[in-house]
Amino acid sequence: MTRFVLRRLLYLVIVLVIITFVTYVIFFAGNPTNLAGRFAGRDASPQAIKDAAVRLGLNHGFFYQYWHYLLGLLHGSFGLDYQNQVPINSEIARAFPVTASLVLGASVLWLLIGIPIGIMSATHPRSLRDRMGTTFALTFLSMPTFVLGLLLLLVLYYYLTQAGITWFPPAGYVSFTQSPAQWAVHLILPWFTLALVQAAVYTRLVRGSLLDVLGEDYIRTARAKGLSRRTVIYKHGVRAALTPVVTQLGIDVGTLLAGAFVTEQVFGLTGLGQLALNAIRNSDLPVVAAVVVLAASFIVVMNTIVDLVYAVLDPRVRLA
Amino acid sequence: MSLIGADVRIEVAEEHNPDRKGGADREFVGRTPWQLAWARLRRDRVAMVSLGFIVFLMLVAIFAPLLTALIGHGPNTQYSTTGLSPSGIPVAPGHNGFLLGTDDQGRDVLSRIIYGARISLEVGVGATALALGVGLVVGLLAGYYGGWIDALLARFMDILLSFPILLFALAIIARFGPSLDLVLIVIAMFSWPYIGRLVRGQVISLREREFVEAARALGSSDLRIMFVEIAPNLIALAVIYATLLIPVNIVTEATLSFLGLGVLPPTASWGNMIAEAQTGDLFTVAWWFLVFPCVALVLTTLAFNLLGDGLRDALDPRHGRSNIIPPTKQQRVLAKLRKRTAREAAREAERANA
Repeated sequence: MTRFVLRRLLYLVIVLVIITFVTYVIFFAGNPTNLAGRFAGRDASPQAIKDAAVRLGLNHGFFYQYWHYLLGLLHGSFGLDYQNQVPINSEIARAFPVTASLVLGASVLWLLIGIPIGIMSATHPRSLRDRMGTTFALTFLSMPTFVLGLLLLLVLYYYLTQAGITWFPPAGYVSFTQSPAQWAVHLILPWFTLALVQAAVYTRLVRGSLLDVLGEDYIRTARAKGLSRRTVIYKHGVRAALTPVVTQLGIDVGTLLAGAFVTEQVFGLTGLGQLALNAIRNSDLPVVAAVVVLAASFIVVMNTIVDLVYAVLDPRVRLA
Repeated sequence: MSLIGADVRIEVAEEHNPDRKGGADREFVGRTPWQLAWARLRRDRVAMVSLGFIVFLMLVAIFAPLLTALIGHGPNTQYSTTGLSPSGIPVAPGHNGFLLGTDDQGRDVLSRIIYGARISLEVGVGATALALGVGLVVGLLAGYYGGWIDALLARFMDILLSFPILLFALAIIARFGPSLDLVLIVIAMFSWPYIGRLVRGQVISLREREFVEAARALGSSDLRIMFVEIAPNLIALAVIYATLLIPVNIVTEATLSFLGLGVLPPTASWGNMIAEAQTGDLFTVAWWFLVFPCVALVLTTLAFNLLGDGLRDALDPRHGRSNIIPPTKQQRVLAKLRKRTAREAAREAERANA
């Protein structure tokens, strides 16, 4: 167990080094004086550009800068951003709760929607209910997040408000500590936007995996020894069928925690996605690198948790 | 010479053997796996409608200049007098000859959607083709050689798949400046490992099969075994996953364009049309210039997804709904004729009785 976690940590370090290195290479593939020029202000003199380069550390070589960045990371600091020379740690501390509220709320919702529909489809294959479940899945699977989000905004926010029904607030974010009720109300549309698109994936996943499981011999044995249909499906079937769902959930939550770009953009939520997007548009390298580090860490950490959950779900899996 | 290839044809017409059990109803016609798959697909109404829509969309994309000439509105022309009301509000669908209305700059939404189809298909199909090519080659090399080559390539694919893809795509495009070619290449770069992993898994099991051993015994080179013997067996898999990857790539292009780092305006792409409709909440004034590009995008991805599902059922019947061998055209005609003769015979008998 300890060995397993230690090995995962080592893997995380390797992935982080590779991914941050690639990020640096991408950014320095252009030319750095150009980069300094961007932050020296409009119509800057050559001297001002040079000053900016020194201020941002761009006067050093590529490897020196990269090494410096890694040392900072080791001390738990992401450094200062190029744009305003503000500590990136505090920017992330501000943005992360927004993204976390969005993603964690939505993930509960998509599991609550996706898994029951998947089970219903798999236990009644080829029936009308299965068809409806499959249609639901395919429709939302084919619906890009921004399309769904904007259509929800148009119909549920704009047209309802126009008709005098103000159930849904406009885009924006209210923090949980400020007002829990307002927090939830402001997040309802983003939650559903993200959750419906994701639920489609889970519906298909659960349907496919449960259909496979229900075809196994041990299910026939369970039926033959006289267990009720409900017990067979839920205790023997669904439990085994959920392992791919756990994997997928780990990947999805890990990826989205580092920024649900599209949903944040549509609903004007100032989370990590918006932070990264703005940084990318402004060539603000340290901020982009910080989000990249976060993303990779979330993905690896979630994968580790998934493996641990596996060992709990299935005693045959041993952690070595 | 592929031993389990598609060119093995067995024609056993049992028509002339009336002693056989089941009589004339049991004529056998040998068909290739591809003919069988096509016959299965043709019975899948949903897949055929989707295929029809995709063909229609491709024709629209190819003949875009002709179509917009017929409509009489270019995709980027701003019709400031006919396309905008005096107060500068977009024209609603069906007015002033704008079938789907105009956008905030007085441009014809229909013409822009038609040109947007070009971008979507070009990136969707182009990036998928590129990903398929790279994925096939890498998957074949990794799966066939095994050993350190496999370890290296497989690990490389794993690491590429654990990248935060959208973040990197955005960063790369921002660094080198958005362009259609770059968008296509970046999308392909992050989607080939999916194909590569699938192909690798298949090749690992195929390389142990007898026909590979036979080819090796005959002295075939590794390259020949990989690309002439093994590769044809991967076509079904490639067709299915390519069809399912196209809509994913179309959505990625639209997403990048929506976020402003894909295809840049004024070139029309469905993603940047939707982004323009969102700026300043313009869509609340003129819903049509948000809704119509959305509809085009959703219908296109839906059609590819449905066709992909149909193809999977048709090409890989073990997992599908239609684990049956559909009758050939000849069999259908014969069955109909036979039914008719039987009916006439029955009527004849009835008349004789009366």
